[in-house]
Amino acid sequence: MIEVRQLTKRYRTTRAVDGLSFEVKPGYVAGFLGPNGAGKSTTMRAVLGLDRPTSGEALVDGRRYADIRRPMHHVGALLDAGAVHGGRSAYDHLRVLARSNGIKDRRVVATLEQVGLAGVADRRVGSLSLGMKQRLGVAAALLGDPGVLLFDEPVNGLDPEGIRWIRHLMRDLAREGRTVLVSSHLMSEMALTADRVIVIGRGKLILEASMQDLQEKFKKDVLVRSTTPDALVAVLTAAGATARSEDGALFVQGLDAPDIADLAARHRIPIHELTPRSASLEDAYLELTEESVEYRTKETGR
Amino acid sequence: MTDVLNSEWLKLRSVRSTTYVLLAIAVALLGGALVSYLMTADWDTSPPDLQQKFGAADPGVMVVPFAQFCLGVLGALAITSEYGSGMIRTALVSVPRRKAYLLAKTVVVAGVSLVVALVTTLLAYQAGELITGDRPRPISAYDSFGDAVPTLLANTASLVLLGLVGLGLGFLLRSTAGALVTLCGLLFVLPTLTLLLPYPWNDRVYSVMLPVLAPQLSGELPDPPLSPVGAGLVMIAYLVLALGAGAAALLRRDA
Ligand SMILES: Nc1ncnc2c1ncn2[C@@H]1O[C@H](COP(=O)(O)OP(=O)(O)OP(=O)(O)O)[C@@H](O)[C@H]1O
Ligand SMILES: [Mg+2]
Repeated sequence: MIEVRQLTKRYRTTRAVDGLSFEVKPGYVAGFLGPNGAGKSTTMRAVLGLDRPTSGEALVDGRRYADIRRPMHHVGALLDAGAVHGGRSAYDHLRVLARSNGIKDRRVVATLEQVGLAGVADRRVGSLSLGMKQRLGVAAALLGDPGVLLFDEPVNGLDPEGIRWIRHLMRDLAREGRTVLVSSHLMSEMALTADRVIVIGRGKLILEASMQDLQEKFKKDVLVRSTTPDALVAVLTAAGATARSEDGALFVQGLDAPDIADLAARHRIPIHELTPRSASLEDAYLELTEESVEYRTKETGR
Repeated sequence: MTDVLNSEWLKLRSVRSTTYVLLAIAVALLGGALVSYLMTADWDTSPPDLQQKFGAADPGVMVVPFAQFCLGVLGALAITSEYGSGMIRTALVSVPRRKAYLLAKTVVVAGVSLVVALVTTLLAYQAGELITGDRPRPISAYDSFGDAVPTLLANTASLVLLGLVGLGLGFLLRSTAGALVTLCGLLFVLPTLTLLLPYPWNDRVYSVMLPVLAPQLSGELPDPPLSPVGAGLVMIAYLVLALGAGAAALLRRDA
């Protein structure tokens, strides 16, 4: 369980995180979304005791991270896969971390195998590819078999096979009853992985919802095709819906597809197509975060 | 705590820079021995009145200052390499108790420095004895081992001190370049600059410079500004200052 309460972190002039509160419970994958500079990494660093909050607090299993003895047995984290000493072998790197928490070398070997790095265990970390480093970071997070996991953009630099692997890994970890928080910029990626989403922008919470609710919320309208659209519009308007006609189709808001079908049947109006349309999650996400995008490329020639 | 010590000890052993630093000290030992050998050969062929003007053919005189710098580098790298690579964040996630982290690093750097210092000073002494054989002073630095003990111990203490000052500077500055420049300044530049001060401040300030503390601690310097106890206290002050500043930076600032 991760609890973030009224967390604020200010760096000189920037408010990286601003009164942020949310909870992540065990058993599902929580997607942590937000545009560049939204404060995702800062929040994770505060949870892990690396950055001291300006105010508010972040707790893991009800405790401050810094108060946990041998924390790798409770919390596993992958913040920045590049944040490793390039001169050590992959095996030694993991052994260094393992020893600090009393974890046996046997477990290091097993974890290297689990992430598919057994073959490069003796290579210097600096010589590993970005994707391999990412796997090494995941291995470090898994070393202590922790119940809480935080991943900061874990699919960075991974190939499609690696992305699938991470996706399955996180779903499996959650299914085993662990708490999993994963950050990402991409709603499309989270749509495949996360059960709940926490969307932030400029350090503030924009939305916390289940993936289903989010999809529900951004249900847009229903596309209807009929041979007698005018009659249908009259009926729909009488029922309190609004309809807009375009390219021979009607876009109806205010009524669900089943209600529209029932209404049409009652008035004996033939219907040829009836399609509920929702904004793509990506659109939904862009709409949510539009206000808070800090680093936007100048759009040209529109 | 033993876990963290174990981890730090493995950290130091598993990087090449440690090997390089130790190799550099070994090379310095060989160089020191060579110079001593050449001096002794020169002494042998010199007339007696010139012989009296010779300094001691003690490899330690050349090796210790260089080894001081090397151990300073070793201590600094033990932490600046982590800040440089970002490893510090990975490390502090596995060991969030920063005091324990600092303590473990201090103990490991002190331990390694102590062993390296003892081996270096003893080897330098032994090489000097072998080279000068039964020749008298001044070409031979010491009459007996007992005669050499104060110097060997004082040099060892100064070497351990430098390892820890390097570590403290590393924690404080978080940058390898910054720590090395500061070490060079403290060991090689500042002592020379103090001599430009007006009398008597030049002597007074010079006496608390890092390179001249060991000879005052052992009491071998004739007519020293600092007593052995005074020199020891100044060394402790350096230690407390460097590690204290390093600890403050680690405990106060974000990683
Ligand atoms: N150490 C720091 N010093 C000063 N400002 C910082 C520091 N770390 C982060 N910031 C600022 O805080 C804000 C949030 O940064 P953060 O890295 O948490 O965002 P993020 O959501 O992880 O972004 P991204 O998706 O690009 O990784 C940014 O404006 C950033 O410039
Ligand atoms: Mg980030």
